[in-house]
Amino acid sequence: MNAARADALSARHRLEQDGWIARTSEAFRHLSPPPAAVWLGDSQDAAASCDASPLEYAGWSVQPIGARPTGRVDARWLDAADAAQRTAMLAGLPLPGSDEAAPFAWAHRALCRRGLRLRIQGTEAADGATPTVWLQLRLRSRCEVDAPLLVIDLQPGVHCVLAEVHERDSSSCQRPLVHNVQVHLRLGRGASLQHLRIATPATGDKLAHHVHVKLDAAARYHQTLLASGSADHLQRNLFELHGARAAAHGAAVLFAADNALEQQVHTRHGAAHTHSSVDTLVLAEGAARSVVNTLTHIAPGCDDAIARQRLNGVATGGQPKIVLRPHLEIHHDQVQAAHGATWGALDEEALFYAGQRGLDALLARTLVIEGMARAVLLHGVENAELMDSLGIDAMLALQVRQHLGSAAAVSHG
Amino acid sequence: MVTTKALLELRDLRVDVAEHHVLRSVSLQVRPGELLVLMGANGSGKSTLGLTLAGHPRYHVVGGQAQFAGHDLLAMDVQQRARAGLFLSFQSPPDIPGVKNNLFIRTALNSVREARGETPLDAFDFLGDARATATRLGLPEAMLGRPVNDGFSGGERKRNELLQLALLKPRLALLDEIDSGMDIDGVRAAVDLVRDLRAQGTAFIVISHYLQLIESLAPDAVLRLDQGCIAETGGLALARDIARTGFMRTDQAASEVVTA
Repeated sequence: MNAARADALSARHRLEQDGWIARTSEAFRHLSPPPAAVWLGDSQDAAASCDASPLEYAGWSVQPIGARPTGRVDARWLDAADAAQRTAMLAGLPLPGSDEAAPFAWAHRALCRRGLRLRIQGTEAADGATPTVWLQLRLRSRCEVDAPLLVIDLQPGVHCVLAEVHERDSSSCQRPLVHNVQVHLRLGRGASLQHLRIATPATGDKLAHHVHVKLDAAARYHQTLLASGSADHLQRNLFELHGARAAAHGAAVLFAADNALEQQVHTRHGAAHTHSSVDTLVLAEGAARSVVNTLTHIAPGCDDAIARQRLNGVATGGQPKIVLRPHLEIHHDQVQAAHGATWGALDEEALFYAGQRGLDALLARTLVIEGMARAVLLHGVENAELMDSLGIDAMLALQVRQHLGSAAAVSHG
Repeated sequence: MVTTKALLELRDLRVDVAEHHVLRSVSLQVRPGELLVLMGANGSGKSTLGLTLAGHPRYHVVGGQAQFAGHDLLAMDVQQRARAGLFLSFQSPPDIPGVKNNLFIRTALNSVREARGETPLDAFDFLGDARATATRLGLPEAMLGRPVNDGFSGGERKRNELLQLALLKPRLALLDEIDSGMDIDGVRAAVDLVRDLRAQGTAFIVISHYLQLIESLAPDAVLRLDQGCIAETGGLALARDIARTGFMRTDQAASEVVTA
């Protein structure tokens, strides 16, 4: 047995030993994830082979965004079955710890077949300035049960805009997928990353995305997430603000219509003058189950840290279950922290106003929802122009139309 | 003698809000190009009348009739009323976060144009009209690119209502305290706009407490609403009398004005 195989078996053994996420787990108690067998590909559902073309590319692909600069990017696609490549793939990554999501990490280590490591460096322009690096990553899979890995090292001072897309298209496998994705982002001193994430699975898919971001001093991370529900969909973020003046901002719009979607955002302030914010809007319809768990921990000594959590849930129809849980753990006096959660229906006065101006009911709802979502997403971008540059408005409009289309189907169904 | 047919005709309109009888009996007529001023104490039902005619779902018509341009207004839903040419300028226009003002107004305008059988305006043509109109009304051009009423001052919200009125060119406009929160230039712009639209045939029902505005508008009639009923009808003399004596009027005073 080679070392790679041994490592995978060891992870599987550890998972069996420690057990899967308990039903009483605080972080997961409102939406229990499927058992370990599903994520390991041991369940019967995973027995059938994929129906995508064998010629279809599988794994991560890296592309430029239009004609924008791509900087100097070292990309390594690594095969986890090869011992040397596996070692390189996992180099520098922490072992799964003992937190509530650790079983996902062990399952990932047990199944992971391939990974992509990117080392992003800027290039100096003639005027001495460092242009922003623009990249797009797409994940496509030919495996029904997969555990892809992505590791990005952003070198000190580099500014990057990254669009990470997980969506189904007609050429990819049309069977329900099970994806346990681990993403590790490490931002060097003074680096900045604008991270757009799109996760719009098919109805029967089971998805768990774990994004682990480590920030050195003065690094800035902005995440904008657009996600839709599926049979089981978890988006989990861990922001670690290690260096002074580091900042992490997450803005998300979650669409759930008769399916499940959970977001967890854990932020750890570990230095002075750090800043974090979480803004999430949940739009839920029918019998959807949607949960947002945010936990911000401010360690002793974090002078002048600022933390904010703002969660908003809107039932767009039916009787969805929306659970919003903002938590703060503050172990230092000299900080500013605020959190809040609100939920309710769409603003009837705004809808009436739009109707009074001649908009039909569907158009009025579409416009009001898009507006709410856009206002939230603006908190997750470093500047408003990026909304246009990345085509976020168009993607948002598509998601809103699909959500309201699902809603119409639900109400007529 | 040629008599222009009424654009809006209300007969014994009765409206409940949350099981309270707010409008007990309102009958009135408005012809194209006419301007009625509606006065009344707080809570007399003025805004209720506007919101009811616009089709607000919280206002329940429990009796009476409303004909608009020969059609049963009460049988139409909110947007059908708007597309038929009924415009309500809100006393407190709501904000719509994240929706750019110019997109909202263009979408509204094209919805109405489509209903009229007109071709929709593209963004370029619309922006040209909207900018020119906003300038005329004293609304900073930057407000077109901001979310609808989000962060607008009271006066800016009212100017934004006027902007929509000017662009939509309705057949009947109900202006609910359009002057409140506006500076003197804004009020003047409102008067000028009403005069221009009226000359093109737009009818108005204007709710206001302020004599100076009412006199500037040269109304065809002034109506006093009291406890959900039209208590008095007159001309500018009635408005001046109310401005002098207030709404706490005796039956004697009311009958003197009506017979004057």
